Amino acid sequence: MLKRMSFLLISLIMIASKVIAETPTLPTVWEADRLTIYSATDLKAIFPVLEAFKTQNPNIKLEYREFNTQELDRAIRAKPLEDQPDVVISSAMDLQVRLVNDGYAQPVLGEAVIGLPSWANWRNEVIGFTYEPIVFVYNKLAFQGKAVPLTHESLASTMRIEDSFFAHKVGSYDARRSGIGYLVATQDEVTSSISGRLQESLGRARTKVYGQTASLLDDIATGELIFGYNLLGSYSFAREKRDNRIGVVIPQDYALVVSRAAFISKQAKHVSNAQRFVNFLISKEGQGVIAKKSELVALFPDIDDLVSQQDTQDQTINFHPIPLGPALMVYLDDSKRRRFIKAWENALLSINEDQ
Amino acid sequence: MSMTEKSYSIRSRMLGRSALLLLSIFLILSLGVWHYARQSANYSYDRLLNSASLSIMEGLHVYDKQVDLDLPYAAFEMMQLADEDKVFYQALGTQGELITGYPDMPLPNELNEDSAIAFYNAHYLSEEVRVVIRHKRLSEPVVSGWVTVVLAQTLRARHKMMNEILYRSFAVLFGIMACVMIVLWVAINRALEPLSSISKSLASHSLLSAEPIRPTPIQEVSPLVSAINDYQAQLLSNLAVMKRFIADASHQIRTAQSATQAQLDIASQSENLADLPEHLSKIRQEHERLTRLTNQLLTHAMVVHRGDTVVTEQMDIEDVMKKLLTECVRDNAHRMIDFSYQCEQQLPLFMGDSISLREAVRNLLDNAIYYGPEENQIEICLQMDASCIDIIIDDAGSGIPIEWREKALERFQRLENGLNGSGLGLSIVTSVAEAHGGKFFLEDSPLGGLRARICLPKERTLC
Repeated sequence: MLKRMSFLLISLIMIASKVIAETPTLPTVWEADRLTIYSATDLKAIFPVLEAFKTQNPNIKLEYREFNTQELDRAIRAKPLEDQPDVVISSAMDLQVRLVNDGYAQPVLGEAVIGLPSWANWRNEVIGFTYEPIVFVYNKLAFQGKAVPLTHESLASTMRIEDSFFAHKVGSYDARRSGIGYLVATQDEVTSSISGRLQESLGRARTKVYGQTASLLDDIATGELIFGYNLLGSYSFAREKRDNRIGVVIPQDYALVVSRAAFISKQAKHVSNAQRFVNFLISKEGQGVIAKKSELVALFPDIDDLVSQQDTQDQTINFHPIPLGPALMVYLDDSKRRRFIKAWENALLSINEDQ
Repeated sequence: MSMTEKSYSIRSRMLGRSALLLLSIFLILSLGVWHYARQSANYSYDRLLNSASLSIMEGLHVYDKQVDLDLPYAAFEMMQLADEDKVFYQALGTQGELITGYPDMPLPNELNEDSAIAFYNAHYLSEEVRVVIRHKRLSEPVVSGWVTVVLAQTLRARHKMMNEILYRSFAVLFGIMACVMIVLWVAINRALEPLSSISKSLASHSLLSAEPIRPTPIQEVSPLVSAINDYQAQLLSNLAVMKRFIADASHQIRTAQSATQAQLDIASQSENLADLPEHLSKIRQEHERLTRLTNQLLTHAMVVHRGDTVVTEQMDIEDVMKKLLTECVRDNAHRMIDFSYQCEQQLPLFMGDSISLREAVRNLLDNAIYYGPEENQIEICLQMDASCIDIIIDDAGSGIPIEWREKALERFQRLENGLNGSGLGLSIVTSVAEAHGGKFFLEDSPLGGLRARICLPKERTLC
């Protein structure tokens, strides 16, 4: 704990010093052993990974800044080219892809990149280094003696049948505010034919929408909500470990998988450090740290473990990793987004607002 | 003589030149393949771009008095077939205003709405891109005019496809070239094989052995083998002639020597001093014969040698003959021989060997003097007709009967006229005439004796 605090302190000092020394150029020696990471990931979740990297490279001073996904995208686009961070990490794969498409990234070099599955790598410029299924989270107390819906299909029908049980007790991301929420909602539409019906059911249940995973999980734990739809698996599993009031279900018909995407800025000032860091993320060692110590889920070894925890008998889960690629940009199109948000609001929120 | 050519190997020269030829063919084909690869890569991905832009165009609709785009997911999934390429797009409304997409796409200088679709290359966001621009006329009651969809894609997949085609074609081309080279190598070696086998058999073969080289079934080589065999046969026959000549010559010399020896013995044993002059004169006669024989043998050897080595120079036949005649007259001043010289016209210079020719004529003159009577008439006559220059020596001696004339030309054939001769004189003349490309004839002389005519070809004169 003490260590963590000191690390945070270092980071904060770094940020402070950067703000102070924004304009004058810093000595090159000072520059060479730094690494700036802008990330839409809870520091708490990724901290063990940073720590492991720091142990391996004690000379590199990390500067880690946390954003939410949309803020991060805006920050990168707003920054002048010479002030770009070295590494950008976000779970909003669509926004990351668009940044890469617009030329903000440079290729990641190294053998580990070639070993990545094709969906977790686009042009070697943006790579996914986690495997985070989108899950259902429920309040164990509320579902005592009740069957927890294990598929999208059964969720839709259960919500329709037990209208009053779910009413005002279901929560999900706000597609308007949360980047990951928007990504998951749009991918639901692309992947599944029942998403329209499900949205309708969610609307009828007067689903509450949240911008943050943490507050959603908090409300489920306290019993304010009994069911959370489409939550990011990594945080949910981590909470489940600590908090026995909640349970997590990986949907069995299909489970979207989000991979936290990282890229190295084209104008990165510490390219070799950045290369080292990104390669560390997908290296065996880095993946081991992600799997064992962090709250994130590693690409390969982790998922079987999580599936076996869930009491699915012999059901195989149909994981559907969202592939990195330009198709993700479709829903980022302004008019497409307007259209989608409008439809989403109509389905989910119209009844809420009516009241 | 031209300069001696540097030695070279047919095999390496042929192989080198074929390789050079193949290489140039390879280069030309490569150029073609490159062009083809580029075209087919462009063609394939242009179609992709085309269908994607068509699909986007389908998403353009008029909503609420405004043109709006519902970007089809399928269009981008189609674009993702080029899985490593970036995608940029833009939709423009009837006024050219941006509906959605990237605001600053590279457009052609002037929008030409006559053609529904156009492709071009451009540079955008520090990437080389292939752009398709597509127009469509909207004629709704509220909105009418041309709408435009611009779709661009980076070139990575095209380059990849092009490189793949190039790589494969080059591999095939290279394979073919290598095969051709191997075939050529085998063929050239095969073609040159008889040459090396002949040289091998020649190396292990003595030209002097009577065995000819084995005939070959290869048609192209058999002329060479038979030429070598002919050459060998000729050499062998020349050698045989030479051997016989040496045997004959040594026999002649020994005979003459033993005759001289015998006369010397008789003279030394004779007790009667009065007989001595007679013995001496016999010894002298024998000695003269021996000398003459030796001279003629040497002359013969010289003439044959000079004929073989083809010594030619410009010579004035008249001058040579006049000098020779003068010499002859001087040597035979003590005899009752009437020499005359006749030349009807100016003779051109002749390319020949003056020494051997002089020796031949000298032989004829000597013969005429030697075999002729004490009172003789000898005439040298030079004539020229259309084809040859004749050197004619006439005498008024007893001549040679027609049936013996041919025999008289052979070596060591002496006519049974009781006089001592080497039997070489006329054969020397024949050799000289032949060495000059001419002929030698024995005919009847108008003076009553023998006419010896050397006929030299006129082609060898200098005009």
